[in-house]
Amino acid sequence: MQTNFLGLKMKNPIIISAGPWNRDGLSIKKGLAAGAGAVVTESIVSDAMVDVRPRIAYDGYGAQNTRLYSDIQVEGWEREMAIAKSNGGIVIASVSAHTPSEIAYIASKMEKFGADAIEVNVSNSMGESLEVVASDAEIIFEMTKAIVAHVKIPVTVKLSQNATNISRVAKAVKKAGGSGVSAINSVRCILGVDIETAEPTLSTYGGYSGAPIKPLGLASVATIAQTVDIPICGIGGIVDYKSAIEYIMLGASAVQVGTAVMVNGFEHITQIVKDVENWEKAHDIKNIEQLRGMALPNLKSFDEMKVEPVTSVSDNQVCAENCEKCIKACIYGGISRTKEGVTTDRQLCTGCGLCTFICPQRKLKLAW
Amino acid sequence: MNIRNIAEKAGVSVATVSRVLNHPESVAPATKKKIEEIIEQEEYTPNWFARGLNFNKTGTIGLMIPHILNPGHMEIAKGVEDVAHQKDYTTFMCNVENDVHKEKKYLDNLIKRRVDGIVLISSLLNGDELQNIVEQNIPIVLVGENKGNANVPIVRIDCHLAACKATKHLLENGYRNIGMLYGDTPEIENMRKVSGYREALREEKVPLKNEYIILAENTIEGGYLAGKRYLELKDPPQAIFASSDLLAIGVIDAMKDNDVRVPEEMAIVGFDNIRMANIVEPKLTTIEKPLHKMGVLGTRLLFDMIEDKDSEVGNKEILLQSKLKIRKSSGHKERIGEMF
Repeated sequence: MQTNFLGLKMKNPIIISAGPWNRDGLSIKKGLAAGAGAVVTESIVSDAMVDVRPRIAYDGYGAQNTRLYSDIQVEGWEREMAIAKSNGGIVIASVSAHTPSEIAYIASKMEKFGADAIEVNVSNSMGESLEVVASDAEIIFEMTKAIVAHVKIPVTVKLSQNATNISRVAKAVKKAGGSGVSAINSVRCILGVDIETAEPTLSTYGGYSGAPIKPLGLASVATIAQTVDIPICGIGGIVDYKSAIEYIMLGASAVQVGTAVMVNGFEHITQIVKDVENWEKAHDIKNIEQLRGMALPNLKSFDEMKVEPVTSVSDNQVCAENCEKCIKACIYGGISRTKEGVTTDRQLCTGCGLCTFICPQRKLKLAW
Repeated sequence: MNIRNIAEKAGVSVATVSRVLNHPESVAPATKKKIEEIIEQEEYTPNWFARGLNFNKTGTIGLMIPHILNPGHMEIAKGVEDVAHQKDYTTFMCNVENDVHKEKKYLDNLIKRRVDGIVLISSLLNGDELQNIVEQNIPIVLVGENKGNANVPIVRIDCHLAACKATKHLLENGYRNIGMLYGDTPEIENMRKVSGYREALREEKVPLKNEYIILAENTIEGGYLAGKRYLELKDPPQAIFASSDLLAIGVIDAMKDNDVRVPEEMAIVGFDNIRMANIVEPKLTTIEKPLHKMGVLGTRLLFDMIEDKDSEVGNKEILLQSKLKIRKSSGHKERIGEMF
């Protein structure tokens, strides 16, 4: 499924996001060879410093990363960019800095080295101050404007969920001449604490990524799509074709996968790309525009949601399972066990819907 | 052994040897190999000075360092050298020792030696003098401001804003009597720090006391003497913001000698974040000036001009961010402030 994001014609909408898995030319080349529509470099800064160790943790659901940026200096990226693009493909340079003139300078270097687009990373969830820069529309406007003035290639800004109003920031990007936005960056986190030693999993704050942040990313993308007319790249917890399509249905023109690649390797990209293509064939989708934003009209305000007298029913047959999960989870006391098995009391049931998700067999559903 | 001897030995022309040295890709592989072997056997190295004349490049840049004993300048110098080394350039480092005549003499010497460009840290030259170098067609870049910057490319930080932030930090920690200790150099930057300090007090409606603003030589010793002067005031301050870490370290030393506890009885904030700031006791709260990065970016701008004389670096300015680095010396209460 071809897509056009930032004016770049991509063979598919699956991009490998910025991160340590794209730390140099060779790894970017691998990602492109695995079938990615484009690859974003690890964030490039003016003055790379050494990393702390350890710096990445994973608990089976999500990952905490405290690696801040590429350890290759700007000069080195001339060589890495050439390696990355030696077999063709689209490479987006992620750049990070603290002031407009500094970030514009790095961006113009990356353009010179052959980057196809710039992704501005100003929403890094670690190593920054208590104030989240990506929440400040004015700073984002100034930075974007400075970059746009210095490069001819398209510029997209990676936004943060840690913002009071993500729409306002996306609007600032558009006003400053940005070609798109990406959302969301990782979320500031502490992965956990070992209660025997009182040691946090990693010894400082980091960025949380992976499947658990998908709902945050989906909400951010939908919010931007409903308020600003700007191309969006969806990021956050994409692990398979379904999550990729969810983002597209909520308004994304492309998506980025990071943590899943870190944990499962580049072949995971090949799989997602293949699965997306198969799903499209099965649904006779020829163009991403047929899908993009398809779920948005189904998002309703409370006013628009019809009050329907639905209650939980057990699919016309009384449940004989012994799990009792629905009984425990019914906060209204509407489900009980009788001689026949589990039944719902349609007087007590308020139709909240929770039991339909709780039942492992999906036997319960809401009906008139 | 010179290039002629090599050519004779290899049975080729001088031009061919020259091509092997300068454009090896244009020489047939077999010939190239043969000549390279002879060059190696004879341990021939091209006359570096003559190469400079031929190509109008000497592979060297100059670096003016205001004072080699100032650790902040060494951090910047490392940034300069890091980039120059990657470009296969040699850096001539000149220790100016805050003497404008010495700086001018070194500059003159470097220009005569045909360096390809010069980085000047906190130059003592005024705008006209800098302009004079620019007109000689020598690429120059300033790192930090001192006397004035003409239209020369510069990498700098906003000293006014940074000083305002540092002073506000002390105000937020509850101090009202705050001293401003500023160094004699670099002039413009230190004047901006004083104005930032004044603005922070004005915003918080804290009356300014002129006796709290003290000028000192920008060294540890200067800070030590100033620290003693503060203690001799009839109504000494409870906190001191110093325009450099060197001054702040001198103040801490003076406090120790006078049994004044830091930060309990005297809170101190420095400026620069030199490595020592994290080692002194108590660890010094300071403004993190991106010293190494300033050297790196200044040198990148310089090479942009060296490599492309028509590049648009011209009057480019890169303004970098400086951060408040909270440690123990400023008597703050929030540990989270030290994390980010």
